Amino acid sequence: MSGRLPLLLGIAIKHLSRRRRQTLVAVSGVAVGVGFFLAVSAMMIGSQNDFISRLIDAAPHIIISDELRSPPPQPGVRAFPGGAVALHGYKVRNEVRGLKDWPAILAAADALPGAIASPSLTGGVTLRLGGHEEAIGIVGIDPEIEKRISTIETNLRMGRLHDLETVQGGIIIGEELARRLGIGMGDVVSATAASGATRTLRIVGLFKRGQSQLASSSGYVLLREAQSMLGRPFIINRIGIRVADPYMAQTVATGLEARFGYKAESWQERSSDLLSLIVVRDVIMYSVVSAILLVASFGIYTVVSNSVSDKRRDIAIMRSIGFSQADLQLIFIAQGIILSVIGVLLGWLLGTGLMAILGSLDFPIAGEHQTIPLDHGARQYAIAAGASLLAGVVAAWLPARKAARVDPVEILRGAA
Amino acid sequence: MTALLEGRQLARSLPGTPPIVLVAEATLAIEPGTFTTIVGPSGCGKSSLLYLLGLIDHPTGGTLLLDGEDVGALDGDARARLRLERFGFVFQFHFLLPEFTAFENVMLPIRRLGRLDDAAARTRALQLLAAQGLEGKEDETPDRLSGGERQRVAIARALANDPALILGDEPTGNLDSHNSARVVETFKALAHEQGRAVVCVTHDLGIAAASDVRISMLDGRIVAVEHSPRHD
Repeated sequence: MSGRLPLLLGIAIKHLSRRRRQTLVAVSGVAVGVGFFLAVSAMMIGSQNDFISRLIDAAPHIIISDELRSPPPQPGVRAFPGGAVALHGYKVRNEVRGLKDWPAILAAADALPGAIASPSLTGGVTLRLGGHEEAIGIVGIDPEIEKRISTIETNLRMGRLHDLETVQGGIIIGEELARRLGIGMGDVVSATAASGATRTLRIVGLFKRGQSQLASSSGYVLLREAQSMLGRPFIINRIGIRVADPYMAQTVATGLEARFGYKAESWQERSSDLLSLIVVRDVIMYSVVSAILLVASFGIYTVVSNSVSDKRRDIAIMRSIGFSQADLQLIFIAQGIILSVIGVLLGWLLGTGLMAILGSLDFPIAGEHQTIPLDHGARQYAIAAGASLLAGVVAAWLPARKAARVDPVEILRGAA
Repeated sequence: MTALLEGRQLARSLPGTPPIVLVAEATLAIEPGTFTTIVGPSGCGKSSLLYLLGLIDHPTGGTLLLDGEDVGALDGDARARLRLERFGFVFQFHFLLPEFTAFENVMLPIRRLGRLDDAAARTRALQLLAAQGLEGKEDETPDRLSGGERQRVAIARALANDPALILGDEPTGNLDSHNSARVVETFKALAHEQGRAVVCVTHDLGIAAASDVRISMLDGRIVAVEHSPRHD
């Protein structure tokens, strides 16, 4: 048995086929809107994903440091919690900085599924060469573990992380710092710690320029070298952790902080200002794209509205032979949907083509040739289709409602 | 004979000060197997009465009974359904959908009603067109048909769902005498041979003379109802 919907759809197609030029303009409007939405969102999301992955990978997902978010309770408070007498002005005992019982923290972090924890010690030294001095922060690491939790190995212009172990007093610094000091690979430089201890360090690696995470005023040395130089044997003040799911870092960090008391900072917390910037960027992108789709929906409105005006007589005929108001409304809404669907399909093709062109472009950035990071996710295709269909239905609904309200008597009497 | 369609004190007026009266106190009965014409001068309310009888327009007063059921107060969907199932309309200007072929125009009400499967619907549409002498014209759009052919397609479409009532609004008003006579013969056959009720608004006194019942109107009121000897 013939269905009602195929019949109404057939009538809608017939109506559109009689208005080819307007139909083409409306479909083109939707297609251009969808195509540019896909291209723009592919660039925006692609660059955003690239940015976030750099943000995530440049440093450990979680950094546990020997800081506390609030001062520890004094022994008196611990002994008598909620006591009636409060003590003030007592002398606080000086404690040695560093993570206490760090092997337990390390073991707990390593015990998390898929997690790797790397201990390190940070401190300040002054590099001297001739009359030139540079105060830098050094990070003492275990190269074999550290290269598994961060991307510092891949960001080396020259040398390898492993060379820290094979070269006595080896240090890796950034290209910019090396240029300021006028030194290069294999050169030696004198380093003095705050305690007055002095070492001679040899450059075994150089970080690429532009790596903001590996700041131009920091250097990597072997962990035991740092402990010796800073006069803090067997002490570490930082544990870097890489977790299996970077987006779970905040949850894991909260758990570790609650358990051990030390500040555990996730990459999300460290980059909260940048992440909020991404939200603003998303809002801007979707606002612009919504405006494009809104303009495209005007085309659909025009076609359907003109169709309703031109077909008033046909509407009256159909009403007289037994088509209901809902039938008429559906015929004209179907026109909006048909225009949207064709527009979306063409827009998908256009968008895919634009993405292919954008993906083939090559840009020299920081001395390297890079392509635009693009996101080819199906989600954007679905959003474009959903938004266009919605716009099409809404744009067609207003004139369709008008069509359903056409008084057949008025038309029939006028024609008679 | 039991009336198929009965109007009691039917009224239709448009709002205004004073209200514009289109139809007033129209009481009439339409019986199956009869060919009824509504005659009168232009603007006397003939078409308005026809639209009330055909459930296209709502009465502002009175009662309309179809098979004894009050249909005057039905909602839009129920009225549309009744028009689809029980009524067939033929208008002066054929009123075919221009994008559709003759065959597709006849198929529209059949497919909308949805009682027949595709094959049966196609067969019925082709039979109706053939009965109107339109073999070979099935795939022509209205702009490629003559006035008489278009009106015959409109009659075929009016009969698509085998209605009990055929309503015509000046169906011969735009036809030459030959085609006009053919339409009248068709209407008479539909009434007398197939037992349908045919109601036709006309200015043509020849058609009125050929009908079984003539309803004369003046200023929105029925002023006379005449029955031909055959009907008696």
